[in-house]
Amino acid sequence: MKFITYADNLAQLTALNDLVVAKNFDKTNIEVIVGTSALSRYSETSLGDLEVMIAANQKFQLPLVLEWDVLAQETLFQKNAELIARLPLHEFKAIRVQDPGALNLVKEKYSWLKVQLILENGNHNYAGLTRWSEFLGEQLDRLVLSNELSREHLRNYATELKSGLEVLVYGRILLFYSPRLLLSPLKKEEIEKTLANKNIEAFGTSEESPHAGFPLIENRHGTFMFNVKDLYLLDHLEELKSLKLAAVRFDLRFDESFKHLDKMMDLYMGTIAHESVSDIRANHARPMIKGFYNINKTDVLFTKLKNKRIQRLDDNYIGEIVDVERDQQIALVVKSKTLSIKLGDEIQLVTPEGKTKTIGLKSLLNTSKVAKTQASTNEIVLIPFISGVVAKTQVYLLSTSGSDEAGKSLKTP
Amino acid sequence: MTTKNWTPELLSPAGSLEKLKVAVLYGADAVYLGGQKFGLRQASDNFTAHELKEGVEFAHAHGSLVYVVLNSFLHDKDLEELPEFLALLSELSVDAVIVSDLGVITEIQKHSNLVVHLSTQASCLNVESAKLWKKMGVTRIVLGREVTIAEAKKIKQETGLEIEMFVHGSMCMAFSGNCVISNYTQGRDSNRGGCAHSCRFEYSIDFDKEKNEEAKKAFFMSSKDLEGIRMLTEFIEAGIDSLKVEGRNKSHYYAGTVSKVYSQALAYYKEHGNFLSDDLIRWEEELRKISHRDYTTGSLDHHADESSIYNQRESDENEYVVSGVILEVKENEHILLEVRSAFHPGETLEIMPFKGRVIPHTVATVKTIADVDVPKSKPGSVVKVPYVAGAEQFNIIRKRVMMEAQV
Repeated sequence: MKFITYADNLAQLTALNDLVVAKNFDKTNIEVIVGTSALSRYSETSLGDLEVMIAANQKFQLPLVLEWDVLAQETLFQKNAELIARLPLHEFKAIRVQDPGALNLVKEKYSWLKVQLILENGNHNYAGLTRWSEFLGEQLDRLVLSNELSREHLRNYATELKSGLEVLVYGRILLFYSPRLLLSPLKKEEIEKTLANKNIEAFGTSEESPHAGFPLIENRHGTFMFNVKDLYLLDHLEELKSLKLAAVRFDLRFDESFKHLDKMMDLYMGTIAHESVSDIRANHARPMIKGFYNINKTDVLFTKLKNKRIQRLDDNYIGEIVDVERDQQIALVVKSKTLSIKLGDEIQLVTPEGKTKTIGLKSLLNTSKVAKTQASTNEIVLIPFISGVVAKTQVYLLSTSGSDEAGKSLKTP
Repeated sequence: MTTKNWTPELLSPAGSLEKLKVAVLYGADAVYLGGQKFGLRQASDNFTAHELKEGVEFAHAHGSLVYVVLNSFLHDKDLEELPEFLALLSELSVDAVIVSDLGVITEIQKHSNLVVHLSTQASCLNVESAKLWKKMGVTRIVLGREVTIAEAKKIKQETGLEIEMFVHGSMCMAFSGNCVISNYTQGRDSNRGGCAHSCRFEYSIDFDKEKNEEAKKAFFMSSKDLEGIRMLTEFIEAGIDSLKVEGRNKSHYYAGTVSKVYSQALAYYKEHGNFLSDDLIRWEEELRKISHRDYTTGSLDHHADESSIYNQRESDENEYVVSGVILEVKENEHILLEVRSAFHPGETLEIMPFKGRVIPHTVATVKTIADVDVPKSKPGSVVKVPYVAGAEQFNIIRKRVMMEAQV
């Protein structure tokens, strides 16, 4: 399992190299993600600074990975593609991309360059991960998986997939990525004067949300919002190793987290125990969480979003009550295209609260109060008042008159 | 002989069977809808299997196509239930499915011959991305709302794929599929239909905590609504195949009005080859009578800028309200309508026919289904009002609320 982290400038790359040397860290087990402000979401590194880092790495010989994780509309994408063509790509061990356009371009034009495919937005199933893996074939270095996958899923994928897998174990959790510039309009003049070409940073709090202090960044790529709590899985490193993940990523780009690199490398190497890094979490600027590592239950609330009892079932469905005039009549819309009702039929009514009533049809009137013997699709008929029945009650045929054969058995909600 | 001009397909939302009928009858060339699972609108009524069958039959009988959304980011356990639904969709001969996840596409191709359209949720933004999805077997791409019409034209020309773009409705502020605020703050997966619309909240933005500066209050993440009626010429000249209206969660009135306005505008172009119609202003006025945030052309012309932010609290105040939907018309006798908002005898309502201008109707009486006169209709009830020529089942009836205030 590899140790993956970022270096955003020469000073960080040098510091990282110093640690690698001092700890005698196996360089085949580390990768350093570098980017530029044009291609990376949060990087403030200029193209010139990137070239300086690449030059310095001639001596360091750290495996560098180029980050191209911005999403871009066609016009901007073309500019990025031109920039990629000018970069010394042979200096990188691999390139990291999320935009399928970037992926396709790299596959077509730079088929010799290994790809680390970022699948952090969705991609929560084996079929999709397999297909991405097969699409890239030998060019795939590894798949970067979503923070929303639980331990159980990581275990299954690591066992079943041939490709290497990577997850984030420490860092901010990205919640929102918009190409629109949303912060600068609030503070336009001041930002123009003081923060040109730099990331604009802020914190957002809403009274309509129980959470406060969402970190925000705006730069040329748009606006990013992060969770109020950062991801912390440092206490699961051994477990992740046992799952046979290919790599774990330590994102130390924010909140002066880079200073923790020393301890994190020790922890990764097993030279110190997790208890020795407790200050990292304790002194962190925000609360830290395990995210969905233990379990992801983000679909369990869906059943509460609507009343299933007012949905029609398919078997024996007749229609819906649309109005009730107390002690007088009930209006029924016949919606079924295949079943009709007639005098003498037995129907069952299922109210939105789940109560059921069964009656025999003794009277049917059209809306002009003319007696009818039957009603079929699209007709509205009046039937005698039934206590407890309200609008949106669903109506099903229980048995038909004039036939020995009873209707099909009713499936109640 | 008149030469008809080419126009794109108008694709309207169908949040329920009734809304499907409304959209089709008001002019949609195609509708998109969801089953009980696999879509992004868990709170919508959506369609049971029986409703789906009826909806497809109804749409096809009226010459409209039906696309079914399977655009959630499905997890493994969700995929287990997919083949049964795919078999149903194949049996019903739906015209395409709209998908965003490669795993879902793979399962569809494994279990069916359904035509696959790539959902906007996949945020396809450029030519190379479209080329990749073409390799994966999709035949149409619903482009991300961040793409301009000019960029879309290039994508179409360089890939040969069918291109669908949003023309009207609410917009995500984030790149679609790249927002998980609800997942972490509400425990609801926004990419499986649980979006809590946190982007519409008001936020206090604190730029520098140390300076104790007063935070700026703003609805900074809320987008204005898209309105592309003035861009129809550009859509047509770019050869965009389908124009999509957002809004499966929205009302019958919305589905009917937007379908009617855009279908009338496109029909005018088909006949005349331009939009130099006196009705252009009226079409725009109609789009202002439905519930909406301030309108913007978003990124249709140029990438959306500051002017596309809707920095206001949302309001339900509208110039018009929906009085009801017609359930039945008994010629020369009465109109039966399902009441959505109250009205009184003597008030003038407006019936929206499927084609042509509204029919004013001053209702002399309002009666219950038991033929009892009432002084006011009750929302949720069914009432009879006198017959008026031109009214049809599923016509929407509205009322101008400003008139009430002026009386």
